[in-house]
Amino acid sequence: MRRVIANPDFRAGFIDMLPAALALVPFGIVCGVAAAAAGASLLGAVGLSAIVFSGAAQIIAAQLLAAHAPLAVIVLTCLVAGLRFLIYSAAMAPNLRPLPARWQNTLAFLMTDQVFAVAVRRFDAGGDPRAAGAHFLGSGFALWLLWQVTNSIGYFAGNLIPVEWSLDFAVPLCFLALVAPQLRTSPTIVATLVAGIAVLALASLPMKLNLIVAGVAGIVAGTVADFTKERWTAR
Amino acid sequence: MDGALKLWSVVAIVGALNYLSRLSFIAIFAHRGVPVLLARAFRYVPSAMLTALILPMIVHVPDEALSASLPRIIAALLAGVVAFVTRSTLATLAVGMLALWALRLLVAMIG
Repeated sequence: MRRVIANPDFRAGFIDMLPAALALVPFGIVCGVAAAAAGASLLGAVGLSAIVFSGAAQIIAAQLLAAHAPLAVIVLTCLVAGLRFLIYSAAMAPNLRPLPARWQNTLAFLMTDQVFAVAVRRFDAGGDPRAAGAHFLGSGFALWLLWQVTNSIGYFAGNLIPVEWSLDFAVPLCFLALVAPQLRTSPTIVATLVAGIAVLALASLPMKLNLIVAGVAGIVAGTVADFTKERWTAR
Repeated sequence: MDGALKLWSVVAIVGALNYLSRLSFIAIFAHRGVPVLLARAFRYVPSAMLTALILPMIVHVPDEALSASLPRIIAALLAGVVAFVTRSTLATLAVGMLALWALRLLVAMIG
């Protein structure tokens, strides 16, 4: 453990994560507030932030728990919202291939949206994959640590934060920072538009089922647009 | 179902599924390729899922009138432009929050 912390690449990863981690402070607090509002015990809230370790899943789970949705619906909605981790996993797999299984298993646990973004940049820069792996561990650990702290602050002191600050708005902004830069190809724009229109048009569906339907519709639309575009370019 | 039991079921099941999703290709498919159709569909999962996730947080239909969502919509559009250009989460958050506060202030002053 001490050897890992002394590793310069681990430290560099920890530091490289700090700007994005700072931006996630309000998001973590909102997650803690949501857990408290859902009636979670302190241990339950810590379980959510430490084990689930995914802001989107935590918010969805907390809101659906508060709405007394059935367990199956909560699990299914979180599963669909977490499908993007499959993509991150597929994209990260070639980078982690040279590392021992123990490292792969640990790094996979820490791979959230923001950690993935930082790690991909580091692997793309090249060099020893072990050094990049240590960097990944550092940034993942930094975010995990900060996530526990901010979630706890939200759980205990969330009610001290004035409503007028609209801290909730930080949550969509954090994801917007990931979605907007992707809007550079037409199939991605199609996928985003279809998902966006569908989620609002179906907003009256119970138990946030509009999220699943809209997400799947967007994925199908993007894929169809991709193949159509390819056919047109090939012609 | 008892509340605490349900919460811990969520922690265990969602936690396990999340971890397996993150580990999936790293552990299992590390040595073979992903099927073409799946690889193609995969590209659009983050944009579609994240859009479906965040849009209801910005536009509160059907709970409130569109005009009430307007400050959030404008602030999100501004933040989206910043994100598109800078790719920085911190800059996106700062511009989005400041824009929302400024717009609220403006509405309060006019109204």
